[in-house]
Amino acid sequence: MTAERAVEIAAKAVEAGGTLHASAFVSFDRVASVRFGKNSITQNQDTGSVSVTLTVGDGSRKASVSFEDTTPESMERAASKARTLMEASPADPEYMPPPEEGQVYPFISDSLDPEAAECPVQRRIEAVKGLIDTAEGFGLEAGGICSNVHTVMAHASSTGNLASHEKTAVTLSFTMDRGSASSFRQLHHESWGSIPWREASEQVAREALANADQRDGEPGEYSIIFEPQAVADLLPFLAWSMDARRADEGLTVFSGMQGKQLSGQRFTLRSDPDGPAKGIPFNDEGVPSRDSVWIRNGTLENLACDRYWAAKTGREPLFLPDCLEMKGDAGSTRDLIRKTTRGILVRRLWYIRFVDQKTLLLTGMTRDGVFMVRDGRTEEPIRDFRWNWRPLELFERIEALGAPERKSYAFVPPVVVGGVKFPCV
Amino acid sequence: MMKQAAQRAIEILESLGVSYGDARAETATMEKMVFRNGRLDQGIVRDTAGLGVRAVVGGAWGFGASTGFGLESVDAAARRAFEIAVAASGPAVKRLAPLAPQRGLYRGPLEKDPFSVSPGEKMALLEQVSRETMKDQRIRECYAWLWFENRKRVFASTEGSLVETDLTFSEPFLMATAVAGGDAQSRSLQDGARIAGWEWIEKCDMKGWAEKAREEALEKVLAPESPEGVMDLLLDGIHLSLTMHESVGHPTESDRVLGWESNMAGRSFLEVGDQRSAVYGSHLVNFMADNTLSYGLASWGWDDEGVPGQKWHLVRNGVFQEFGTVRETGPLVGRTYSRGCCRAMDYSSFPINRQPNFILEPGPEGVTPEDLLKDMKLGVMIEGRGSFSIDQRRLNFQFGGDRFQLVRNGRIEGPLKKVIYRSQTPRFWGSCDGIADARWLRTMGVLNCGKGEPAQSARMTHGASWARFRNVNVGGGK
Repeated sequence: MTAERAVEIAAKAVEAGGTLHASAFVSFDRVASVRFGKNSITQNQDTGSVSVTLTVGDGSRKASVSFEDTTPESMERAASKARTLMEASPADPEYMPPPEEGQVYPFISDSLDPEAAECPVQRRIEAVKGLIDTAEGFGLEAGGICSNVHTVMAHASSTGNLASHEKTAVTLSFTMDRGSASSFRQLHHESWGSIPWREASEQVAREALANADQRDGEPGEYSIIFEPQAVADLLPFLAWSMDARRADEGLTVFSGMQGKQLSGQRFTLRSDPDGPAKGIPFNDEGVPSRDSVWIRNGTLENLACDRYWAAKTGREPLFLPDCLEMKGDAGSTRDLIRKTTRGILVRRLWYIRFVDQKTLLLTGMTRDGVFMVRDGRTEEPIRDFRWNWRPLELFERIEALGAPERKSYAFVPPVVVGGVKFPCV
Repeated sequence: MMKQAAQRAIEILESLGVSYGDARAETATMEKMVFRNGRLDQGIVRDTAGLGVRAVVGGAWGFGASTGFGLESVDAAARRAFEIAVAASGPAVKRLAPLAPQRGLYRGPLEKDPFSVSPGEKMALLEQVSRETMKDQRIRECYAWLWFENRKRVFASTEGSLVETDLTFSEPFLMATAVAGGDAQSRSLQDGARIAGWEWIEKCDMKGWAEKAREEALEKVLAPESPEGVMDLLLDGIHLSLTMHESVGHPTESDRVLGWESNMAGRSFLEVGDQRSAVYGSHLVNFMADNTLSYGLASWGWDDEGVPGQKWHLVRNGVFQEFGTVRETGPLVGRTYSRGCCRAMDYSSFPINRQPNFILEPGPEGVTPEDLLKDMKLGVMIEGRGSFSIDQRRLNFQFGGDRFQLVRNGRIEGPLKKVIYRSQTPRFWGSCDGIADARWLRTMGVLNCGKGEPAQSARMTHGASWARFRNVNVGGGK
């Protein structure tokens, strides 16, 4: 699938809509992946699928249909279904036509790597077999996935907007373990050339071995050193809560907080679609993405807002463009450890869930490596623990930040948070 | 057309000389209507059709998929599955549990086709339910939805199986969120989805749910917060469906025990040698897996390897019995067969080891929730599903709930909010000392069990009668 073909399909779907307003979103994903567990390949796939979502509206009612068959006959059938559903729908008090003509969409640089767009199977097999060899050499078991995704997306509307975007993603996510001793790494980039799997596999093997003979941590007050992976695990729950309408309706921790201090001065969160964590240039409605600061130095600056609520409340429409950046500083996780006298190093967080959305209280577990830190050195591993934390409160107590790293959708630093009571429930 | 597509893929695989191959041709039609605060927030229909092909070459899997059933795309999917299997092949031999060729057609129970009910009637119901729920202005958010899907599948294999399945599921849902006193609390009413038609929507009586959701959301937002300490719990079937799913369903999946999920979903605290020996709970605890349960979401007739639906004990009299398996994992955990737990999210997903339907078997006839309540000195009654989290080995967990009532000296004292409890899997199930009889059995059809890489969602049904647990660590989140 090419971007030109995706735009053509979107435009034809809009034409088939046959209503006052129509918009279409086309998404093609080729997903090629090799999955492995216990030092063997367990899955190996290469699939491609296209999905078209057509939304029709008559000025007061609307409905959507999603389909995969892009032949003219199929589009006509789908459009007919959408019109039938629309005609049965009640008038929508929040009806919005598609965005007016002339929307300007940002260009996302370096989002596509030509080699990765071909999804070469030998690259995947080579990386996975290499990881397995390393794990076996260290007497460990490796499990994970090596995936290569090529995505093409396109938008068209009856108001005259046309847009497309193409991107690739190579992800190598793996665990090496023996008993309860484990370590984990996720490597993610647009191109194969930026996936340093050989170096990472040896590091992860050594980290896993160092994680043997875990003990219970000693109760007390500690600085917690979150590796970038743990920060990336935590942030989506914050981001998903940043909705202007739900805040205005009194449903979230952000209610009545716009422009106010709600966390520490060292906490800044933004989304730059053309930044180091690559985002998307438009959403499925055809709204352009923007470089936005959500929280600046602890003060709530922006919330995501759909077009209806934006018009009603005098805001600009704004959405989370599949990327997040947390402002960092200089230095690595190791540098932060060196400056810590009494701390706990946390590599990864797991199974995070909301406990209370109104106060943004989350629960979860640690995973794949928790270590005591004393006088600037990583010492004995401790057992995984459950925590109940409010991230906005945690980030009030940031003691140090390191240099941000790419972790899939996020560009995040290692973070040291002081004054954390342990155990954490 | 589906049968021809599946058979053609098998012919191609055979001509390429695979050691095993199968093909699933599927069509799916979905309709979902979501009302938020009385307004149609999402009205969508979706049609998909395609073919997924698996091949084994040189001990390695390959999987390809095609959109639609055109000859060219079917051929390409089969050849792609073969080619990438070759790329991963080696000296290893893939051993699958033996299976005699299967033939037949399975249709799930369906009295009234939900797609024959007009969209207007469905939306009128949701609008009315929403309006009734939001009668009190302190209800700031109300979600009401109806979700229907029909899925037809033809499965064929190089071993001679050829089976067809035709399933329709229906799901109603209602949630009300009340805002008062600086807090926001929700109450959801649901029994989840069933393999059933419009008759399931009528039986659920969403109109009757509206007042209950509204009043119980208000009751909750105004309630005092949870006490803290060690106390007893009395849990209903909808609540237990989630606790069971996380602490019983997942750790008894064979692929986790074998380390195939070590990177994402995780492993299990169980080991292969724990079958028929590990103590999982008290002697009252019996978990019966049942992929023949007529309305159960995992009852497909045959799984995605053509293995028939089965019924077996996961846990019997408190002792772990055996894992849910697929054809590849059965022999690896000491079985000569598969329990038929191989299911894929859709035609373009590789089928993996999933949870079966299963229930906590009810207690002896005549036992009521009131009987269980009366000798609780201090405890909490919990209904419905709330916050949930568990470690990757499925031992250390924390659950919330949806409706909470304080129990003191065998009597209900009043509502609570922000209750969570924490325990460890065998300790928790070991503390079960009473289960109400079958009259109180409630099941929950789950549509969104996430697992696998790339991530897939799966469907299954769990249920229980009210059950009592002693001396559990209870507290509010701090």
